[in-house]
Amino acid sequence: MASTRNIKIQTEAKRLLQEKAVDVVIGFKKGTLPYKMQPCFIHDAKEVEQLELNGLCSNNLAVYLNHRPKGEKTAIVVRGCESRVVQALVLENRHARENLYLIGVPCIGILDLQKLQADEQDPILAVEEEGDQVRVTYRSGEKTFKRIEILHDACLHCNHPQPMHADMVIDEPGYFEDQPYEKSYLDSFRKLSIEKRNARFKEEAERCIRCYACREACPMCTCEECFVNHSRPQWTDSTTNPAGQQAWHIIRAFHQAGRCVSCGACERACPMNIKMTYLTDLLNQDIFTEYGFEPGVDEALLPPFLTLGDDQVKFTDQQEDNHAG
Amino acid sequence: MQAKWISKKDLQKLVAKWVKKYAVYAPVYNGKELAFQIVEKPAQIVLDDYLNTRYPAKSLILPQSEVLMKYDGILHGVENAEKEKIILGIRSCDARAMRLLDHALIDDQNPDEYWKRKRDSAIIFTLGCNEPEETCFCTAVGGSPFGTNESDGLLIDMGDAYCIYLMTEKGKVLFKDLPDADEAQLKNVKKMTKQVEKDMPALLPKQELHDALMASFETDFWKDVSQSCLGCGVCTFLCPSCFCFDIVDETVRKERVRNWDTCMFRTYSLEASGHNPRPTKAERTRQRVMHKFAYWVDLIDEIGCTGCGRCVKYCPVNIDIREIAATALQQDFEGMKK
Repeated sequence: MASTRNIKIQTEAKRLLQEKAVDVVIGFKKGTLPYKMQPCFIHDAKEVEQLELNGLCSNNLAVYLNHRPKGEKTAIVVRGCESRVVQALVLENRHARENLYLIGVPCIGILDLQKLQADEQDPILAVEEEGDQVRVTYRSGEKTFKRIEILHDACLHCNHPQPMHADMVIDEPGYFEDQPYEKSYLDSFRKLSIEKRNARFKEEAERCIRCYACREACPMCTCEECFVNHSRPQWTDSTTNPAGQQAWHIIRAFHQAGRCVSCGACERACPMNIKMTYLTDLLNQDIFTEYGFEPGVDEALLPPFLTLGDDQVKFTDQQEDNHAG
Repeated sequence: MQAKWISKKDLQKLVAKWVKKYAVYAPVYNGKELAFQIVEKPAQIVLDDYLNTRYPAKSLILPQSEVLMKYDGILHGVENAEKEKIILGIRSCDARAMRLLDHALIDDQNPDEYWKRKRDSAIIFTLGCNEPEETCFCTAVGGSPFGTNESDGLLIDMGDAYCIYLMTEKGKVLFKDLPDADEAQLKNVKKMTKQVEKDMPALLPKQELHDALMASFETDFWKDVSQSCLGCGVCTFLCPSCFCFDIVDETVRKERVRNWDTCMFRTYSLEASGHNPRPTKAERTRQRVMHKFAYWVDLIDEIGCTGCGRCVKYCPVNIDIREIAATALQQDFEGMKK
């Protein structure tokens, strides 16, 4: 039985495709595993019934805007974080807002597979969500959680779960309310000595296998050529030695200062369960303290690091073409 | 094939002897996850109720980053001597992958010395899978959860003891003082393994799939399949049979190293001229799948995927190679051609 939320998403998608208002609707559909959903691309109004949204939709769909052909009219199902990405990318002149149609969905949160699967050797056979409760069937038996217990950390710390700047919002309540900027979870890290902070950072970063799932899952990682791929000059150590692993995680985080929307898609994509949103959140907290800026929230305010005065250079068509590949 | 019988307790005692002479690698819980590590005490080893390690055991022979040589005005080779090692408890999918990699990395004229040296110095004991995971499909690609032709020996968990099939002299020597398994014991083993194999996915039609993929080459099938691909390296880095690498001079350390590389990265096939023969995700995804299910078949008449299921389980967007193979078998590619 499709939930009323899903039916409303499907109805809107159907309308958009039938009226030819858009070429494609990006959303989620059932995956091949009981604990994963697949991003999907619906071109035909007959296929909208595939569209579903639940707590297992772990990706940030806005990442696909960077992969779509130029000029395509794209509708996209957005939760709070995804809607803020669209806003941030439009401000960075990455996308033309008039080509995008945002189907906003008040957020129901994203479940953390790591928390769901505390014992990795006990596979998950089924996940059923019912409002506040999530029932998980493991090989060893059944267990019921409160949604909040197994929510991804990024969702626990989210200040804007409601979709912003959307063209329409699905009339179904989410599970979370917006709140003023608050990242007090970072306090304990900030209070640590330099040595302890460094140890904590190393413990995470040095499990990195350089697969760049974090980069590719990140909708704000839009560079045509990533600094780690640059070979002349070579900016960073290429290996899985600590030097290379640390350099990747530090510089990746710095490139997100005042840009990261704190969706946590990077962590959820990481095959090694590396924690990294605390780094981008720390930088974002500095940006908020210094400039009062939150990425993707304001319609017109440029991010501090893009505010260069009158000589802002817009990306040329040539550069956009290169990126589309 | 010799079959021995050893209680789990006695295996621990045996491992305690091995660690004095060999570098023994086995699944160990490292505080974050299960991983193959050098064992100091046999009690660290996790062989009961484990599915598989997420990081593939190929890294023991083909490390993710490996120094090939050092230079400081003159060249220095790297240390050649490899302590003989025992790899205990890898799964049959991962062991089969190592045999596949031998085809790729060792030929008579030009063996990859780095691979060969580590490979020759390793004695591998596989652990049969009594309870394969839902993402496992070794039986679909020509393997078995109890594959015997992949390593030096195969351990089968029979409750409080292991039945050990020994395939090579190297394997036999290490278990030589043990009693042979008796007929009743072997009958039980056969009964159990047959049942496990029966519940696993059916064998894919290798040639039919090969031909279907060959016909798919120029079609939009790959565009559809790859639409949700993010272009990260999870599937290939965790794959036990992927072996591509890139050679880099780390000039600060004055080392020439090789790092795992992957056809899923845009930069993998990017040429110096700026031309990229695999310009989009479609060509790159096609390469990954066709290498496993078509090109390996051309080369050695075996599927180059061993069905470990890591790419299925860890893909951040749930791209499922089993689904791609199944869909390809259903498609009318002749009708799809442009």
